[in-house]
Amino acid sequence: MRLAAALLGTLLATPAWADCALDLGRGTGWVVFSEHYLMAFRPDPLRIEVGEPFALILNVCTRNGGAAELLAVDANMPEHRHGMNYRATIVAKGDGRFRAEGFLFHMPGRWEITFDVRAGDDSERLTHDIILK
Amino acid sequence: MRLLLLLVWLLAVGAVGVRAQQLLDWSSDEIRAVGQHGPWPPPPVRDPSNKVSGTPAGIALGEHLFNEPRLSGDGRMSCAKCHQAGREWSDGLAKARGAVELDRRTPSLWNVGYLHWFGWDGAGDSLWAQSIRPLLDPREMNGGPTRAGEFLRSDLAFACGYERAFGSKPGTDDERLLVDTAKALAAFQATLVSPRAPFDDFRDALVSGDRESAARYPLAAQRGLKLFIGEANCNLCHLGPRFTSGEFGDIGIPFFVRPGEVDSGRLGGLGRLAANPFNLLGKYNDDATGNNARRTRHVQRQHANFGEFRVPGLRQVGRSGPYMHNGSLATLEDVIRHYSEVSPDRLHSDGIPLVRPLGLSAEQSADLVAFLRSLDAEPLARPSPAPLCP
Ligand SMILES: [Cu+2]
Repeated sequence: MRLAAALLGTLLATPAWADCALDLGRGTGWVVFSEHYLMAFRPDPLRIEVGEPFALILNVCTRNGGAAELLAVDANMPEHRHGMNYRATIVAKGDGRFRAEGFLFHMPGRWEITFDVRAGDDSERLTHDIILK
Repeated sequence: MRLLLLLVWLLAVGAVGVRAQQLLDWSSDEIRAVGQHGPWPPPPVRDPSNKVSGTPAGIALGEHLFNEPRLSGDGRMSCAKCHQAGREWSDGLAKARGAVELDRRTPSLWNVGYLHWFGWDGAGDSLWAQSIRPLLDPREMNGGPTRAGEFLRSDLAFACGYERAFGSKPGTDDERLLVDTAKALAAFQATLVSPRAPFDDFRDALVSGDRESAARYPLAAQRGLKLFIGEANCNLCHLGPRFTSGEFGDIGIPFFVRPGEVDSGRLGGLGRLAANPFNLLGKYNDDATGNNARRTRHVQRQHANFGEFRVPGLRQVGRSGPYMHNGSLATLEDVIRHYSEVSPDRLHSDGIPLVRPLGLSAEQSADLVAFLRSLDAEPLARPSPAPLCP
């Protein structure tokens, strides 16, 4: 529940990634990357509360600075073998920017968020863990 | 013998020692977890989908409607028949009795205004939409779609109460008047907030570091609470100040209601939600922002919803049995035994492995019951409502 602290200062764009817009506006967010992709996201509102709906604001890029597509975002609790009771929908804002609405974490513990991203024919699943207390 | 030992022990440790002994060690993680079950009471409900929510005139009209049998088809059944103030806003029965016996227990209305899903299966996404169902259901009040409108137009006191709450005289649109009846009913029900209980005093003392006050909380309840937030993991679902996530779970209660017929729980509830013209996606939602419809818009119906029922809050729980959606467990002790011994085979195949036999000892079970009973308090007697339009 107290995520604001964990969120602070995790956004450190290096010169090599300068073309990709990783600043989500408030100097806060998580950065996730793989060999080919780079993305930044943050919840809206910033603090995720158990049982309260929230959205994710996301920027998705390829490692060489191009915009990429966000195909799907979902979340699950691996230890409990269940997902969310809700399905998020994605709105593309252009230039690799997205808003995914409709998240709700109904339990404290470890949630794994999965992001399916694509550029051209090449798609990939990125993941990020959030621990809700 | 036990008493004698206790006496010897009391003499040995002395009065000051006894005080110090009465507070278990609480780690900072545990204190944080306990703190999340408060503070109590929460701020009053304001439901943006209901324009009379939180308004004195809406609440007053709602209380009178709640006690009004003329809303029912035969003029004999009011909401208060099953939701009784003296029975924790339920009826003490295993299964609700309307015109016929129903398949589920009457849920308590304590703290109902803070929920987001209503009914055991969550078929309602607002308290007012949920309140329409028993008004119309032939097995319950059987009022029919025009009954509420005819009543509000014909009864002078109620017509006046309606005008005070909604700002205009009851019109000719019966569907609108049915919805408004339910909105007033919801405004009243949302005021039913359970009293502070011994747990709340302990929680506040523990969080503020007042060890002396905290030590007044019985040791058995302290041990039970430690189990509740620890080993037994009860607070994964029974979380927050109301001790519920407000979501749904399958805990291995048999789902056959009679041979060949099952209660599919949340799976059926989500079907009814989508088909309900009074849900929050419809025209009667008073929230212009649409924000309060986010759950309804995004909820997904999944196979795993079969056999899931809403996680009930636990305040006043010791006073409001029988337990489970179908009233199949008579006492709190039975409930703890269920969680202690539940067979994984009884869980639906997609059942979350969160529910597993806890294998509690007799002492642990008694401690959990002692903790749960510390969520009970005697409610203040309710004065009868003031006349609507004196
Ligand atoms: Cu979980």
